[in-house]
Amino acid sequence: MADRYASIRYLLPKWSGKLGAGLVIVGLISAFGVIAPFFTADPRDSGNKGLLAPSAGHLLGTTKLGYDVFAQLAAGTRGSLYVGLVGGLSAMLLAIVFGIIAGYFGGWLDEVLMLATNIMLVIPGLPLVMVIAAYVQNAEGLGDFARSSTLVALILGITGWAGSAVVLRAQARSLRTREYVAAARVAGESGLRVIFVEILPNLVPLIAAQLIFGVMAAVLGEAGLSYLGLGPTNSITLGTMLNDAQTGQAVGSRAWWWFVPPGALIALLGTGLALVNFAIDEIVNPKLRLAPQAARLQRKATKEGKGVAGGGAFA
Amino acid sequence: MVFYLRRIAFYLVTLWAAISLNFLLPRMMPGDPAAIMIGKLRRASGGRELSEETVKAIYALLGADKSVPAWDQYLAYWGRLLSGDLGVSSTRYPYPVATLIGNALPWTLLMVGAATVISFVLGIVIGAWVGWKRGTWLDHLVPATSLLQSIPYFWLALVLVAAFSVQLRWLPIVGAYDVFAFPSGPEWSWDFMVSALYHAFLPALTIVISSVGGWLLGMRNMMVSTMSEDYVLTAEAKGLRPSRIRDRYAARNAAIPSLAGFSIALGFVVAGSIVTEQVFSYPGIGKLMIQSVQGLDYALMQGVFLVITLTVLAANFLMDLFYGLIDPRVRSHG
Amino acid sequence: MKTIPVGVAAAAVAISLVLTACTATPPAPTASSSGTTAPKASVLRVWAGSSTPITVDFNPFHVDTALFGTYGPIYEPLFFYNQLSADPPTPMLGETFAYSADGRTVTIKLKPNLKWSDGEPLTADDVVFTLGYGPNKSDKLTSVTATDATTVGAKYSTPQFTNESQLLGATMIVPKHVWSKVANYMKETNPKPVGSGAYVVKTTSDASYTLTANADYRDGPPPISDVQYLGLDSNQSGQDMLTTGQIDWTGMFVANPDTVTGDGAIATMNAQQDPTVIVTCSDAAKGCKGAQTDPAVRQALNAAIDRPALAEKAWAGLVGEANPAFVLLPRDQQWLSDPALAPSPQSPNAAQAQQILEAAGYAKDAKGFYAKDGKEVDLDLFSPDGWTDYNDAAKLIAEEAGKAGVKVTARTVSEAEYWTPVTNGDFQLAMYGLTQSLVADPFSNYDQYFYGKSTAKVGDAPTRGQNYARYANGVVDAAVEAAGATNDPAAKKAEYAKIQAQIAKDLPYIPVVLNASQAFFNTKGFTGWPTNDNLYADPLPYLSVAPAIVLLHLKPVS
Repeated sequence: MADRYASIRYLLPKWSGKLGAGLVIVGLISAFGVIAPFFTADPRDSGNKGLLAPSAGHLLGTTKLGYDVFAQLAAGTRGSLYVGLVGGLSAMLLAIVFGIIAGYFGGWLDEVLMLATNIMLVIPGLPLVMVIAAYVQNAEGLGDFARSSTLVALILGITGWAGSAVVLRAQARSLRTREYVAAARVAGESGLRVIFVEILPNLVPLIAAQLIFGVMAAVLGEAGLSYLGLGPTNSITLGTMLNDAQTGQAVGSRAWWWFVPPGALIALLGTGLALVNFAIDEIVNPKLRLAPQAARLQRKATKEGKGVAGGGAFA
Repeated sequence: MVFYLRRIAFYLVTLWAAISLNFLLPRMMPGDPAAIMIGKLRRASGGRELSEETVKAIYALLGADKSVPAWDQYLAYWGRLLSGDLGVSSTRYPYPVATLIGNALPWTLLMVGAATVISFVLGIVIGAWVGWKRGTWLDHLVPATSLLQSIPYFWLALVLVAAFSVQLRWLPIVGAYDVFAFPSGPEWSWDFMVSALYHAFLPALTIVISSVGGWLLGMRNMMVSTMSEDYVLTAEAKGLRPSRIRDRYAARNAAIPSLAGFSIALGFVVAGSIVTEQVFSYPGIGKLMIQSVQGLDYALMQGVFLVITLTVLAANFLMDLFYGLIDPRVRSHG
Repeated sequence: MKTIPVGVAAAAVAISLVLTACTATPPAPTASSSGTTAPKASVLRVWAGSSTPITVDFNPFHVDTALFGTYGPIYEPLFFYNQLSADPPTPMLGETFAYSADGRTVTIKLKPNLKWSDGEPLTADDVVFTLGYGPNKSDKLTSVTATDATTVGAKYSTPQFTNESQLLGATMIVPKHVWSKVANYMKETNPKPVGSGAYVVKTTSDASYTLTANADYRDGPPPISDVQYLGLDSNQSGQDMLTTGQIDWTGMFVANPDTVTGDGAIATMNAQQDPTVIVTCSDAAKGCKGAQTDPAVRQALNAAIDRPALAEKAWAGLVGEANPAFVLLPRDQQWLSDPALAPSPQSPNAAQAQQILEAAGYAKDAKGFYAKDGKEVDLDLFSPDGWTDYNDAAKLIAEEAGKAGVKVTARTVSEAEYWTPVTNGDFQLAMYGLTQSLVADPFSNYDQYFYGKSTAKVGDAPTRGQNYARYANGVVDAAVEAAGATNDPAAKKAEYAKIQAQIAKDLPYIPVVLNASQAFFNTKGFTGWPTNDNLYADPLPYLSVAPAIVLLHLKPVS
């Protein structure tokens, strides 16, 4: 009975300080973004005086136009998480299609998909995003959608999948030679079913790591686009907050309460996601967890005089 | 040999794809550059009427001739490219795009190139050291670099400028060289080089700070994996010095995947450099790209996008050749 | 022997190079990055708004790309018109001028013994050539001749009273011996301009260009020997350069000018001139679509806006009060017909807005917004990216209108995507800035922005004028034509009264504020700047001609 969960347990990350810290950070920020907007003031209410320092009435002060910074921060976190998820998920889906299908099926399909992937890889990302964003945002008929966070997230997603695709393809190629895959094919399962049932589950940690990476890339990408004026100006995200602070001369006005929190929050979110990613890396490559553990034990033993030949590669 | 031929073939195909994409995109973009320019001219002349010849001259230079079929335009585009004609900029009329790019490219190569190399070397070296000392407190350095990597690039740059350039006045605020000392522009003198390095320091520093983490992490992970390989154990059993094991056996092999991942990382560096040049008013092609997108200067946008792509392709190609050189496994079954 | 890994060695070399660079003092004959203010040689460092890379273009016919300094310091017009005062124009190349009684003939007398910077004499022939060359040639000009070496007579088919400042103050005189040889004036970049002004071009580079004193200038070489114009890419950089004492003169928006003027080296001046408005596509007959074609909706918006809040939040309190008569006060006070028209309502009145709408047949729907015939009023207001003051104002205006029950959605677009719809009439509401009349007479405001012939139907760009609001009112058109044909102040005032009454009622442009034009200049290193008591010129380095006048008045503090 217990064995039923053994396979799942094998896939989950082992507990460690880093993982704990990462989950706590990401969890708190997500909770902040999802729940806090219900409790804060209206982030689009300019009825307050501008550039007020933090006080009891405004926890993080106000912006130049009188918006409450804390309210904006909550709405912005929600917006950025949305962009991150949509962008990360769309990138992941495309990476799965281009990477795993190419890696599993091989042959001419592999060649074509890999060519497309490599082209996307070498064409530099930000210039491509800028050009596409400029095109799409100026296209007629899109109206409000042109500057929405969904569109920006999609643009980031469809330009950011190439790196993950390469990684997934390499793994799919190696998995395709396993016995259980051969067994499934002999049993007559169709290619796609083999991918879904046999290969994908084994790649879950890797995909999860790529997804986390993709989410972070989308959040940072949106911040960069907002700075350049190509971001989702109709929504509130951490990126648009930073852009407003920068164009509103927050640094020159010494309004650190406006300029610092959004950037710090993005950095914290990234660190939390990276910490979780470290833990996932350790599932994919157990040596990353076991080797430092072993080294630590070795050093401890050496210090206590129980070591062999005084260190060597474990010095 | 086959390996090299395959790589060359791949890069040629990618080049063709990039150029064709470059040809297509502005034609799909809305807005008529000639009409935009005429509008600007009319506003600037206070609403006075523009003469017929002025209007005709602008259309001749910037207007898209819709009567020519697309395929002929495509061939003509290739022809112009091969003769080095990238068109005329509409925001910086009447300067040819090739001139603008030619003036800007060296600065980007200098600053971004140096920053990338420094960041790569630092990342590999420190990553190797952290990987060597796995299990100690140094492992906690890695999340710190992740923090640095997650900071929005321009935020970091603006804070550094405010602190070091405006507040402390240790470093310059903008530019690639001291415009007051060199009003006629760049010259070949030692003083000028010193001024250029002084001005490149802060922009390059911000690029290094925000990108070193990626190299570091990759190298550290590879180092930890490599250290548990059998040949490292053999080397230790042979009684080799730890530093020799670290450098000759572990680090050399651990660095290879970092080189393989260079192309991905380079994309991020290019992106970072574009924002860097905007914040520091550094006269490179990244800034030209931003200005062209914001001003819908299609000829310039096309030209800069093409040059950036070509540069990245060239860097990747060189890296691929180098990689093929140092890793025989790739050559035998690439 | 212990081999140092190549990587570490390379890193060490690179780091030491960089450290050498930043410890070596950068060569600085002028005080560059060290932060002191007074320069040794009398070099005036200016940021007029150029961005990098600077592309050399001193062609006075390239009105949108010619570098600053082309108009005034290098090339001069016949007279200088000070837009800050009602004083008569100052002679530059011209000595006197006279209009015939019907306004169709202009006679200009030049100063004697004028020279170009290449030594050739400047005569009436050059003026005749200039007036008939390229974009200067007006289709109303029937003939222009040089009656002698210093006298020019120009004949027109229509009265030219209202074109006085354009002809005499904004047409740069160019040398015939140079421009008659130019094949295509649109393609010419004119890198070594031959002009009559106090300065000539010394050096240019990607990041700056320097003008130096013209030793043969008719009034003697100017006291400031060199003027260096920089290229910078953001207002933040400009502000930083000002506070660290690296530039001496600029005109830009700084929200808190005290951070710049605090240490006493930099002074500031703020002349509010250009009206910032909400331009509306106002005439359904011309193809405009949306509720803003109804004057009641425009009047309601006018009443609902909170102008003091806008002034404080979007413009840091640095703007002036606009009025629906579009008369610049106090300069043009004499032309204001009805004191009740000035200024625009200075406090938001949602109740009044609601009254106006309800009287016009609108009623609030379930969501609390006004609707008519089942269609909710839903207006689109846009502004260009990067124009922070407009974007901030748009956001606040949308909120204030919403409080009164009018649904307005504010959005930003790229700059190119801003100008095209405004020019073509493909919009409902947009933040816009009018250019105030450059002489003490609001005629050009009415002619450019309200005259029926200055507009076009939706889909076409106007061929003359800038009446983007698609406004056409027969009374206004007749009054503009009558005012343009006479020089009699009483007659003009009567016509203006008719215009003002109409445009205040129709409000095709809803006035918001009178935009600030802040100038910052170094009073510790240079004296002679305009002051509030002596506004001899507007000290903004990006204007045409006024900078030349300022430069001629300046002296370095020794």
